[in-house]
Amino acid sequence: MATFSQDFKDLAFEDIHASAAERQAAGWRYVQILAVNTENGVDLVYSYMLNGVLDNLVVRGVTAEQVVPSITDVYLEAFVCENEIHDLYGLNIAGIAIDFGGNFYQLAEKAPMTVISPAQLAAREKAKKVAAAKAAKEAAAQKAAEAPAAAPVIDEAAIQAKIAGLDPEKAAKVRAAMEAKMKKAAAEAAPAPAPAAPVIDEAAIEAKIAGLDPEKAAKVRAAMEAKMKKAAEAAANAEGEGE
Amino acid sequence: MSKATIIPFGPQHPVLPEPLHLDLVVQDETVVDCIPQIGFVHRGLEKLVETRDYNQFIYIAERICGICAMGHSLGYAETVEELMGVEVPKRAEYLRVIWHELSRVHSHLLWLGLAADAFGFESMFMHCWRLRERVLDIFEKTTGGRVILSVVKVGGVVRDIDDAQMREICSVLEGIRGEYTTIMNTLLTDTSVKNRTVGVGYLSQADAVELSMVGPFARASNVAYDVRMFGRGAYGDLSDFKAITDNGGDCFARVKVRCLEVLQSIDIIEELAAKMPAGDIAVDVKGSPADGAQASNVLEQPRGECYYYARGNGTKNLERMRMRTPTSQNLAGMTVALKGCDLADVNMIILTIDPCISCTER
Repeated sequence: MATFSQDFKDLAFEDIHASAAERQAAGWRYVQILAVNTENGVDLVYSYMLNGVLDNLVVRGVTAEQVVPSITDVYLEAFVCENEIHDLYGLNIAGIAIDFGGNFYQLAEKAPMTVISPAQLAAREKAKKVAAAKAAKEAAAQKAAEAPAAAPVIDEAAIQAKIAGLDPEKAAKVRAAMEAKMKKAAAEAAPAPAPAAPVIDEAAIEAKIAGLDPEKAAKVRAAMEAKMKKAAEAAANAEGEGE
Repeated sequence: MSKATIIPFGPQHPVLPEPLHLDLVVQDETVVDCIPQIGFVHRGLEKLVETRDYNQFIYIAERICGICAMGHSLGYAETVEELMGVEVPKRAEYLRVIWHELSRVHSHLLWLGLAADAFGFESMFMHCWRLRERVLDIFEKTTGGRVILSVVKVGGVVRDIDDAQMREICSVLEGIRGEYTTIMNTLLTDTSVKNRTVGVGYLSQADAVELSMVGPFARASNVAYDVRMFGRGAYGDLSDFKAITDNGGDCFARVKVRCLEVLQSIDIIEELAAKMPAGDIAVDVKGSPADGAQASNVLEQPRGECYYYARGNGTKNLERMRMRTPTSQNLAGMTVALKGCDLADVNMIILTIDPCISCTER
């Protein structure tokens, strides 16, 4: 039995027709053309197959102003996909062998597949937030990993030297006393506690507003700063009352 | 030679219950050119992927077409599994193929009935649809649905077929095989059938290859291409699989290839039923496809190779879902096959190509 495999490769816009002609000459079978609406234009995917190998060639960021060359002079059967892409995505495809001039599908709206639905917009914003939060988390983890490890408080070697040869009961007492002494010494030697964390946590705000449009980002920032200040004030008041 | 006249065919036509329009350019009862037009039932189903998560969309995918419902849900699920790197349990793969091959049997029987009716063989139409009902009964017993099965999910299947049901399915299929063989032999040896189909709507092997034809249409022109031969999923466990081909290239060859494929599908089901492995029927699928991740897939639908594509955006909703159906690929070949034929043969040629416009427009 033949085996199946698939691959995705990038294709330059200007190579669309030459690539089709090359593939046809080499015996590749035309499979399809599809379009994907993105924030940077429309991606076109040309698929060809030979001996179970399915190659998907991706042309990125095609705009409505560009003129896409038709491949129907090489592969006539591509006229269906090309007319469909013209009608649904509004791309200008020149030289289609059977060109319906925008009447291939009976549509109520022009280029409906380029309309960004509220659901799609929400999904994209969510994806950006998730990516930003993930990046912030990774950065924090990396920072923590790079910080020097604190010296151990308990010096096990010194304890072992001290209790060697003692009976178990006494050894346990000596161990407990030494450990308590070492902990106390470590606490005294430790630097003074760092000043309280700043009232405004800039990293948290940046993670939250990443990917938002400037207007919305400013609103979110203002709200978060107000919330943080209020929380800090409440904490300070609580401490004051406690004293 | 007389002046050329354009005769419209469809989208409402007694012989073809599909909204396909053809402008037939006719001279002296001979079709000299043909311009196809579709677009009457475009529903924008692919756009709905933006408002449904990848698990929900499977129920939309299978509603693209009633005849190919099982195939579309399977093709979609396989594409999303490829996108997310999900490995499906072996038993689920077997169950999927069994239901898919049953779909092929019912699709080909439906088509054979319509084709027989088109050339006036009404009793054949009734017998074919009577046999098809038994396949639909199997669907109802094993899935609860007769047309829309809703049995495939991303990660496996939602229902199992136990040993007793499997034995019953094989028993029903053996009954169908006996009766169907009689019907098929009658059809393929009947003089009136041959008069209507032999040498009609010829498409050469070279044309079929050049036009990237797929499915029984291509195989009847001796193009040995069938996605099942790649041996993916349970097809890989078959002792042997060979695409059924014929070198006739005409309507009769297309009828013959489809007729033989019914028996081939029954063989596949029986072999897989005997080899059915034990185990789970699904795995849990968690998470979302990565932003920008993309996957493609091909599946042999009853009408030929269907291409699926999915792109993720980091959320539960896919950024894009696309399917290119076999009829879309075969429209160019249809125009070539129609050129030079008698006007009276147009309906026969179109029926033996078996276009599915609902799938094509989505």
